Amino acid sequence: MTKKLIASLLLICLALLPVCSLAAETLNIMNYGDYIDDQIIYDFEKEFGVRINYSTNDTPESMYTKLQTGVSYDVVVTSDYMIDRLIRENRIMKLDKSIVTNLDQLSDQVKNLYFDPDNDYSVPYFWQNVVLCYDTTKIDPEKVEEKGWSILHDPELEGHVFLYDSPRDIFMMALKALGYSMNTESRDELTQAYDWLVKMNQTIHPSFVSDEMIDGMAQGEKWMAMMYSGDATYASMENEKLTVWAPLDGTNIAYDNMFIPANAANPEMANRFINYVLDYPNSKRNTVLTCYTSPNAKVIEDLTAPGGEFEGIESYLPRSGYDKDEIYTDNELLRTETPELLVKVKLQ
Amino acid sequence: MKKRRAPKVLSSAYLIIVLLFIYLPIGYLVLFSFNEGKSMTNFSGFSLKWYESMFSNRMMIESIRTTLIVAVVATAVSTVVGTVAAIGLSKAKRIVRSIILEVNNLPVMNPDIVTAIGLMLLFISVKFQLGMLSLILSHISFCTPYVILSVMPKLRQLDDNVAEAALDLGATPFKALTKVIIPQIYPAILSGALIAFSMSLDDFVVSYFNTGAGINTISMYVYSMKRYNLSVNAMSTLIVVVVTLILILANLIPWIKDKKTQKEET
Repeated sequence: MTKKLIASLLLICLALLPVCSLAAETLNIMNYGDYIDDQIIYDFEKEFGVRINYSTNDTPESMYTKLQTGVSYDVVVTSDYMIDRLIRENRIMKLDKSIVTNLDQLSDQVKNLYFDPDNDYSVPYFWQNVVLCYDTTKIDPEKVEEKGWSILHDPELEGHVFLYDSPRDIFMMALKALGYSMNTESRDELTQAYDWLVKMNQTIHPSFVSDEMIDGMAQGEKWMAMMYSGDATYASMENEKLTVWAPLDGTNIAYDNMFIPANAANPEMANRFINYVLDYPNSKRNTVLTCYTSPNAKVIEDLTAPGGEFEGIESYLPRSGYDKDEIYTDNELLRTETPELLVKVKLQ
Repeated sequence: MKKRRAPKVLSSAYLIIVLLFIYLPIGYLVLFSFNEGKSMTNFSGFSLKWYESMFSNRMMIESIRTTLIVAVVATAVSTVVGTVAAIGLSKAKRIVRSIILEVNNLPVMNPDIVTAIGLMLLFISVKFQLGMLSLILSHISFCTPYVILSVMPKLRQLDDNVAEAALDLGATPFKALTKVIIPQIYPAILSGALIAFSMSLDDFVVSYFNTGAGINTISMYVYSMKRYNLSVNAMSTLIVVVVTLILILANLIPWIKDKKTQKEET
C-alpha cells in the first residue's frame, strides 16, 4: 500500500516536471496583474523562438522587493516614481535604440517625462490619471464638476464612496483639494491634508478598498469612486450609468513604463520585446483588451475616432497639458509619512 | 420526555447552521462558475465558458501545475523527514525530546510573514537563486513540523515491546521499522501528510517571497488579478471536486479492505 502510494506520487511528479525544464532561450517578464493581452506573449514566443516566464505583482513596492532579492528579470513594467528611484540607484540598463525603433510611434503626451528626459531608460507601456467615477443617476454631474475633490466632504455621499487604499493617491487628492502640489515637501501642508482627510472620513465614511472597486462600480455597489482612469473605462463600459470627471483642482497622471533591469540575463531579447509591444497592432490589441490607455499616438487616434472601440468613453484619454496635473516624484517625506497617517485617518 | 426533545431540535438546528456556514460559500462559488455572464451576483444562465477560458489561459494552468508540483514534492519530503524525526525523537532522552518538540512548535506558532521573510533573507545571504527549488525547500520547511506534531502522539501509544519482539525474532532494524512500527502509526502519518498537503496548497505569503521569475502558485496568480474573473470560480470548483473525490476514496478504501478481510476470515 505505502509502496504503491509513493510510486504513484513519484510518477505524478515525473509527469509534471519535464514541461518546466525544457526551454531554449527564456525571457523573464514582470508586470502588474491583468495588464496584458496574453496573446501578445504567445505570438512573441512563436515569432522569436523564446519561452516567456511571466510574473505579476500588485504594487511598485512589491516589485522593488522582488528586484532586491536578486532574481533576474529581463523586462519589468512599473510606475513613474519607482522608475525615477531605480534610475537614480543605477538599477536600470539603457535601452538599445537600434532595436527599439518604434519609439517614433509614441504620442508626444507620453514621451520625455521628467525622470527620463530622452527615454534612454524606459518606454511608456500604459498611462492614466486619477479620476472621480460616479453614477449620474445618483449624483448631479454639475455638482461634481463644480466641487471637484471637495465633493467628498458632502454628507449626502455618506456610505456611498469607494476610495483607493493607497496612501500616495489618497494624499494626492487632499493636497490637490487644498491647492497644494501633490509632491509637497512641506510638513505643514501634509498636516493640513491630514486634517482634510480626517474631516472627509468623519463625514462620508468611505470604504477604503483596492481593485475590488472596479467590479464594485461596474455592478453599481456604490455611487462614487476615486479610480485610475483605465479601471474607470472598464467599469463604465460595463455600467452605462457611470461617467468620469478629472477635478479641476488637478490630479495625478500616472505613467507605467517598461524597463530592463541592470541584472537582466537577456537584454537583446528584452529590447526586442519592448519594441514589439510598442508596435501599432500589438499596442492596439493590448489596450482594447485591458482598457488602459495606449501610448501609441495612432492607436489613441483610431480608437477614440468615430467607430473606434473607445468612442465616447471619456475616461479613455487622460487629460494632458493641464498645468495643475502632476506626475508623482519619489518623495521621501510622502513615502515614509503617508502610510502611517492614512492608518490614523481611518481610525478617526 | 418533552424536556429532552427541545434541546435536540436546538442542537440539530445548530448543526445545520454551522454546516450551512461552511458549505454555502463553496456552493455559491460553484454555482457562479457556471454563470453565463461576468457578474458575481447575477446568475444569467448556464454555460461552461469559464471552464473553457480557464483551460485556454496558460498562466492559470501553469500556476495550477506549479502549485501541485510544490505541494506533492513538499508533502512527500516533509512526511518522510517528519516521520523519521518523530521516531528518532521517541527514542531520545526525555530532555532532548522536550527541547526539540518545543523548537518544533515555534514555526507552527510563528506568523507566516516572519517565516517567509526569514527564509528569503536566508536564501539571499547564501546566494541561492530564488526559483522552483527555493519554493519547494521553503514549503518543506514549514510543512515538516506539522507532520512531527501529528505522528508524535501516536508513537507514544505504541508498545515498545512489539518492535523489540520483532528484533528478537530476527528482523533487521530496517525491517522492524517498515514492517512493525510504520504500519502501526500509518494513520498518523497519513493525517500528517494531509495537513502538510493542505498547508502547502493554502500558502500565499511564504511562496510569494521565495519564488523566482515566472513561477507562480494559484494563490499568487489570483492575488495579483485586478479584475475578478469567474474562471477563478471554475478552477476552485475543480479543486473542490478533486478534494471531495480524494476524501471519498480515502474513506472508502479502508472500508472495502475491512469487508474483504472480514470475508476471508469467515
